[in-house]
Amino acid sequence: MESDGSTFEREGDGMIPTTFNYFRPHSIEEALLLLRQGEAAKILAGGQSLIPMMKLRVAEPKTLIDLQGVPELAHVTWAGGHCTVGSLTSHATLAADADLRQKAGALWDAANGLGDPQVRNLGTIGGACAHADPSGDYPAVMLALDACFIVAGEKTREVAAAEFFKGTFETALGAGEILTKITFDAAPRSAYVKLEHAASHYALVGVAVVLVMSRDTIEDARIAITGLADVPFRASGVERSLRGVKGNNVAAIKSACAGAAAGQDVRGDIQASSAYRTAMADIVAARAVRVATDPR
Amino acid sequence: MKIIGASVPRPDALDKVTGAARYPADLVKAGMLHAAAVFAHRAHARILNIEASGARALPGVHAVLTAADVPYNRFGLIVADQALLCEDVVRFYGDRVALVVADSAAIARDGAARVNVSYEDLPAVTSAQAALAPGAQRVHADRSNVLLHQKIRKGDVAAGFLQADVILEGKFTTGWQEHAYLQPDAGISYWEGEKLVLETAGQWLHEDRRQIAAMFEMPEENVVIRYAKIGGAFGGREDLSLPPLVALAAWKLRRPVAMVWNREESIIGHHKRHPFTITTKWGAKRDGTIVAAEIESIADGGAYASTSVEVLKCASIFACGPYSIPNVATDGIVVYTNNVPSGAFRGFGTPQAHFAAESMVTRLAHALGLDPADVRRKNLYKEGDIETTGHPLPPGVSVRAVFERCLEEKAARFALPARRPEPANSLRRGIGIACGIKNVGYSFGFPEQATATVELDATPAEIRGAIVRVGAAEVGQGAHLVLRQIAAETLELPLEAVRMVTDDSSEAPNTGSASASRMTFMGGRAVKDAAEAARRNWVAGAKPEATVQYRPPRTTPLDLETGDGIPNYCYGYSAQAVEVEVDVLTGVTRVLRVISVHDVGRAINRQQVEGQIEGCLAQAVGYALTENMPARDGKLLTPYFSTYLLPTTLDMPTEIYPVIVESADPNGPFGARGVAEMPLVPFAPAVAAAIFDATGAWVSDLPMTPERVLRAIEETRRRTTASAEALVR
Repeated sequence: MESDGSTFEREGDGMIPTTFNYFRPHSIEEALLLLRQGEAAKILAGGQSLIPMMKLRVAEPKTLIDLQGVPELAHVTWAGGHCTVGSLTSHATLAADADLRQKAGALWDAANGLGDPQVRNLGTIGGACAHADPSGDYPAVMLALDACFIVAGEKTREVAAAEFFKGTFETALGAGEILTKITFDAAPRSAYVKLEHAASHYALVGVAVVLVMSRDTIEDARIAITGLADVPFRASGVERSLRGVKGNNVAAIKSACAGAAAGQDVRGDIQASSAYRTAMADIVAARAVRVATDPR
Repeated sequence: MKIIGASVPRPDALDKVTGAARYPADLVKAGMLHAAAVFAHRAHARILNIEASGARALPGVHAVLTAADVPYNRFGLIVADQALLCEDVVRFYGDRVALVVADSAAIARDGAARVNVSYEDLPAVTSAQAALAPGAQRVHADRSNVLLHQKIRKGDVAAGFLQADVILEGKFTTGWQEHAYLQPDAGISYWEGEKLVLETAGQWLHEDRRQIAAMFEMPEENVVIRYAKIGGAFGGREDLSLPPLVALAAWKLRRPVAMVWNREESIIGHHKRHPFTITTKWGAKRDGTIVAAEIESIADGGAYASTSVEVLKCASIFACGPYSIPNVATDGIVVYTNNVPSGAFRGFGTPQAHFAAESMVTRLAHALGLDPADVRRKNLYKEGDIETTGHPLPPGVSVRAVFERCLEEKAARFALPARRPEPANSLRRGIGIACGIKNVGYSFGFPEQATATVELDATPAEIRGAIVRVGAAEVGQGAHLVLRQIAAETLELPLEAVRMVTDDSSEAPNTGSASASRMTFMGGRAVKDAAEAARRNWVAGAKPEATVQYRPPRTTPLDLETGDGIPNYCYGYSAQAVEVEVDVLTGVTRVLRVISVHDVGRAINRQQVEGQIEGCLAQAVGYALTENMPARDGKLLTPYFSTYLLPTTLDMPTEIYPVIVESADPNGPFGARGVAEMPLVPFAPAVAAAIFDATGAWVSDLPMTPERVLRAIEETRRRTTASAEALVR
């Protein structure tokens, strides 16, 4: 095969990854075995981040273990007010789930606004979470939902969202572990709103909100923000200020959301300066809260 | 008139949308060698050594070419100051130092990566201001960093300001813009007997031939340039970038060679629109009469001369927009820097000048409490007015009619909808207007001509058909169809009876470039004149063919100190009204509706004129709002479409009203002027005025990104609060 690559990036030609072994197991057990045995092995879910990184040779795994042969990992299951989402569930599946919109609007919003149709058709929630892009949408949503990550390995363990995201492209997943499920409680008053980069649709600022409301008053709130720091963070000051605020009191919501990024070392780059991102956190947070105050 | 004015469909459209059309990269055939360039990737450095043994040792590599392989290693449209392969110094990131030729593109690129060049970095001049600083490092050791300092003096500007009731100052900056033609640079080259053939894309067959023949010290007739289908140009193919590289490989190795740049190579490897810093001061009387304007325009020309001096002169003569002002002083300076070269780009200095001028006219109106439309009415050019360069405008000054038409359309279409009452809604709508003037054709005494040959297929009884030879580049604008329509109409033939020969420098005469909105006017006039001459020959019983060179009314160089001269022979006039919606909390701005009015003299093909207006507006939306191209120390930070934000369908206004005014030019074929660049000229200042209307804040830097819009809103709010507090005290 002939490369159409460039001499522009000296590290690689931008099109063709280095050689690797490819496996397509049919069970989690088989996948775990391959993961333990394979040299420099990586799990392939939807491939929407890993494959481009391999083409740029930012990632050079020697072994790829494709989970698409384990279809039971793709599901959305409700039991009472508790939801379990299989890690291989595509963004498009979540985005088309009308039930999810009512019961966990924040996740539905994120799935709908993520990437483009091709990315949504192939990309998966588990892959996106395990990738832990600091501008990714799901990490904020997971934090706001207070989700729990079910991880298979030598033994199965549970990791709280707050413990899962460790840094840029860094999670609590160990070398021999696979994220299999994500669980969370229904969040009928929740939303995710972002100010996005026009080309990539990554969040310049993304805010996930889960509210507990009593009639029209906010009793409790979980606010999580992505795009600003190495990891998504909870805006605890905003959460406190929102308690007792009426859902229709726009001015009070706005003032509660002031300083949403307080205490954070906010990133600045050619897409948006640190000052702009910081200011936008307040604006986007207030908008997300207002969406979340109404039933979806 | 049957064919002129009709919306004749494009004969090339079907092939283009089905993929059958062959662009330069589609010409690559099995068995050809492939070339890849080694880029400098540094702003300014001395080449100490080029170590190519690693590349040469790679199986499949045929040659590594360097400066020593180029007989005359200089090229350039106006000044030959650029090396095809740098011999001693690299002056910008995209400079080329070597060319690797191999069996495949992959091997060539692999080889290019193995060419180790050692450099000694030199101080880099990475802004126009730095280039002008005392003791600044020279970009070219043998000459000053100042490419041109052009002055224009009209009246007495100091006396003019004394008459003014209001004087406003303003400072404006504009950024680089990438042409982003869909078809990246590509070409193939090979020998055909004694002739070196280059099949590629460009904007001017015979100029490409002149520069390439000079580089290989060959007679021009032994170099043949053939244009494949050209996927956009916008001025970006006026300067030679890839084509002479592939030609060098074929010339040297005497084998067919192909070369295709990817998008990153294209973006760093070819020139951009000039960034400008414009500092202005305008004065007007209470009744809105503008009495004086003082304008300093400083442009970053980048590492090589390209067409910088012409761009600067255009920016200078249009520094006051289409307004007659008695007292004017402009100082235009364009400098060499170690940034990417700046050169031709749709509008050619005019959009930058208008951003400042049209913004200042609206601000003056506000300062005087007058309607910006009335201030324009008071000052717009009229027939017989004297340009700042001291001579009357070319006849056919229609800007007033164009502007009035724009206002009529605006009244009819933009009756402002009620603003949403909900106080929390942060969306604000506003409307802005602006006017524009831009030359059609070459300026300032640059030799302007177009030649066409018409050969009739005729019996003594009738003309059955015609062959039209005209070296016009079809860059996507529809020139070939327009020229064919002109020939058919002139000869009273059906369109199908006219055959066009256009794409080969050895088969079609020199018609000049597809640039400066000139091809319909100049190429069209040459075709029309040649068709008429051929028919006269037929009537006279002579051989029914003719070659005619059309030369328009003469222009002259500008005096360096006063600007005195006749800059142009034809102008296109524009006026636009735009409606925007600004989110005042995020600064995100959308253009909702555009009315774009243009005097095109005569629409030869109405559908194509409307297509030009709509297509140009897409580029204008990008220029005004989204296409931010920052650089750090000479390195462009957005060399990918994932980071350089071209507007998409979703960024385009939902309503575009292209309005064609037809006020005939005395010399254009059937009265035609030009349209290609015109919609870009007034657009950015119209958007800036609309943003002001919506928010009360002026944005003076292009592009008007959300961050800049928000900053302007916040600064205005702070100022207003501060002055309110001052009043209370």
